[in-house]
Amino acid sequence: MKTSRTWLQNYFTQPLPEAAVLSDALTFHAFEIESVEGDILDVKITPNRGHDCLCHRGIARELSAILAMPVKLDALRVPVSLEPKTAALKVVIEKPELCARFTAAVIHNVKVGPSPEWLRVALEGIGQRSINNVVDATNYVMFDLGQPLHAFDAGKLTQQDGTYALTVRTAQQGETMLGLDDKEYSLTTSMLAIADGNTGEAVSIAGIKGGKPTGIDEATSTVILEAANWDGVTIRRTSTALKLRTDASDRFQQVISPELTAYGLKAASDLIIQIAGGEVVGFVDEYPRPSAQKQVSVTLSKINAVLGTELPIADVAEVFTRLGLAHVQTGEEFLVTAPFERLDLLIAEDLIEEVARIVGYDKIPAVELPASPEKPGVNANFYASEAVREKLMAEGYSEIFTSVFTEKGERVVANKVDGVRPYLRANLTDGLQEALERNMRSKILLGLSEIKLFEIGTVWRDGKEEVVVGTVTEKEKATERHIESVSSLAYDTLPISLTERYKTFSKYPFIVRDISMWVPQGENSFGDVVRVFGEQAQNLLRHVELFDQFQKGERVSYAFHLVFQSFDKTLTDEEANAVMENIYAVVKAKGWEVR
Amino acid sequence: MTERGHLHPISSLVREANSIFYKMGFSFEEGPLLEDEWHNFDALNVPKDHPARDMQDTFFIKDEPGMVLRTHTSPVQVRYMESQVKKGILPPYRVIVPGKVFRNEATDMTHEAEFFQIEGLAVGSDVTLANLKGTLTKFLKELFKGASVEIRFRPSFFPFTEPSVEVDMRLVGANVPEKLRDRWIEMMGAGMVHPDVLKNAGVDPTQYQGFAFGMGLDRLALLRWGIDDVRLMHSADLRFINQF
Repeated sequence: MKTSRTWLQNYFTQPLPEAAVLSDALTFHAFEIESVEGDILDVKITPNRGHDCLCHRGIARELSAILAMPVKLDALRVPVSLEPKTAALKVVIEKPELCARFTAAVIHNVKVGPSPEWLRVALEGIGQRSINNVVDATNYVMFDLGQPLHAFDAGKLTQQDGTYALTVRTAQQGETMLGLDDKEYSLTTSMLAIADGNTGEAVSIAGIKGGKPTGIDEATSTVILEAANWDGVTIRRTSTALKLRTDASDRFQQVISPELTAYGLKAASDLIIQIAGGEVVGFVDEYPRPSAQKQVSVTLSKINAVLGTELPIADVAEVFTRLGLAHVQTGEEFLVTAPFERLDLLIAEDLIEEVARIVGYDKIPAVELPASPEKPGVNANFYASEAVREKLMAEGYSEIFTSVFTEKGERVVANKVDGVRPYLRANLTDGLQEALERNMRSKILLGLSEIKLFEIGTVWRDGKEEVVVGTVTEKEKATERHIESVSSLAYDTLPISLTERYKTFSKYPFIVRDISMWVPQGENSFGDVVRVFGEQAQNLLRHVELFDQFQKGERVSYAFHLVFQSFDKTLTDEEANAVMENIYAVVKAKGWEVR
Repeated sequence: MTERGHLHPISSLVREANSIFYKMGFSFEEGPLLEDEWHNFDALNVPKDHPARDMQDTFFIKDEPGMVLRTHTSPVQVRYMESQVKKGILPPYRVIVPGKVFRNEATDMTHEAEFFQIEGLAVGSDVTLANLKGTLTKFLKELFKGASVEIRFRPSFFPFTEPSVEVDMRLVGANVPEKLRDRWIEMMGAGMVHPDVLKNAGVDPTQYQGFAFGMGLDRLALLRWGIDDVRLMHSADLRFINQF
């Protein structure tokens, strides 16, 4: 979530440290930071904190706990009242299990217009577009407190006996609604809609997107402001089905507390009156089953036993205090009453995590496990596979891995993103045969006398999953067999790769030229020749292979394959010829004789 | 004389990791690649409508409802503990699980749809987060011999651990390749096994606790050898393999 340091500053009397310091504080005590640009931090809120931290208030509370800087005013800790109530709007929740609470305010005589400078700057700073003062007020409150809201133009809803009506109901199959984004959405019975209760017409896709026909415009005078609480799973499914993700759906699908609606509604209606004028006629609050407060307890000894620390009790108490977690301490036990928005605090371990991260994970010592009371077992399948690897490598086979995805098999993936090779392989042999053919091209480049490959891998056939070993060589077609497990009391010490760094190989084709010559016999004759090749070929010589050598009198005859390849492009014949000409010239100058 | 063939770098890493962890009392465990949703998700505290279960991340199998290509090695935590409990063997448990896992994603130089992980699990009456730090420090020190290895934890979230951490590593020393030297590198996710996971596997969370970690082996290989493209792992290309 894009978070503005300037916005966060509203929560503190003391000046906040610079963005880089805030970034470190959050990184090591709360959340990963995706980026910092100027005063804007992009904070990656973990799914367990989507309940309370997808807003500036939540992040301000975190920073307050981490930096031990008290917050000036926390809107969620000041009681709000949705009074007076009004009969001008009637709300019916047909699906209370999917809509825990529906609050609304009716506001008269609003003057819709551009937002004040501070509001426009605040929203644009976090990448939002300013629309008008009423809509901006709802967005501001969402990014400030975490409660999504929606404003209807009451003038575009219908009245019956002077009363507006909103009904929360299941959408009808095929029912359509034109969204505020000018797109027409076709709804299904698994989705929730808010309907004009007097006409039955859908005016909003609940918790996701409002309808265009009842949207706020310059002519709006009476606003019905809605702050509701929606079932996370329903919102997620609807959002996925409609391919419509909004800032509101992102918050509801993480599940937020129904308690939050009242705080959001009050903050937004206050802000609207402040920047767009008008007066609140009254509020509606449908809250069929108020949520209960949750309590969790943990002891100091449990905290230290899980973390492997020796934290004193005062440190733990301080963490809870800094996080604003009301607690009662009895002996070494803490009974914590989780604030309503902290839906993540359910078990003792959740509190232990709070202590660990606020104290800081750098305070956790590194302690090796005690010696194992018994000797670990030797895995008979792994032991057998390792033995097979060693045997095959000794015979000159190299180990490859090929993809389990292929063109045919018994089992098929239902939803492969790239759509290609959707089957699970039923054998290793097809992949090995293919790999052999592909590697034949590199044979001379790598200076191999024969390509020999093996793979140990999983196949799916005859309704079973099985690990088998397959081999292929230039001379023998690919075959595979079962690996018999081998029990052993201990593992053998086997060699590991001693390679230090991998070297990128060229993806371009190579060219082979042969050269044979007479050279006077001498201790360094072979080395001298190879050095000449290297010097003349610059960086193009990939491999030198001596394929023939014999002696006659005082002279030796050498015959070589020279493999040329560029890292930058496909080498041309002319370029290879030019290198050979240079080699011939030097060979001649040295008095050697090209045959 | 036949020239010896080459060991795949992943196999070399698994071999090395197994020998380091074996000395620390961990045994090598395996599990099926085609896994049921209960072991892959539910038992690990990933509820039905968690975003991680979205269609684009997980490979589902046609006409086999409830079966997926495992998205991590963590289901073997549950399978292993279940099998021990069934045999009447109570903790302490110490296992590693190297193996292939799958993510239904588009592939590029740093992403593969099939890759390797190594899972670690230690459960006992007194296994702590400090033991996790000690175990990983020792493992990485042995793996990056000759370098001074530092590790640090950062807060994170996984449904199957609580507390959850990200583990970063920093290599210091003159013989560390320049690209890696003195830089913090994200290595893996880890944490204390969530009590619900123990419970789901039949282990009493009021008696036992433990740590778990899951590290990408391909990524480790990339770092260790400076490999520039993760797709080389499954390329079956000897221009790659023969360098190891």
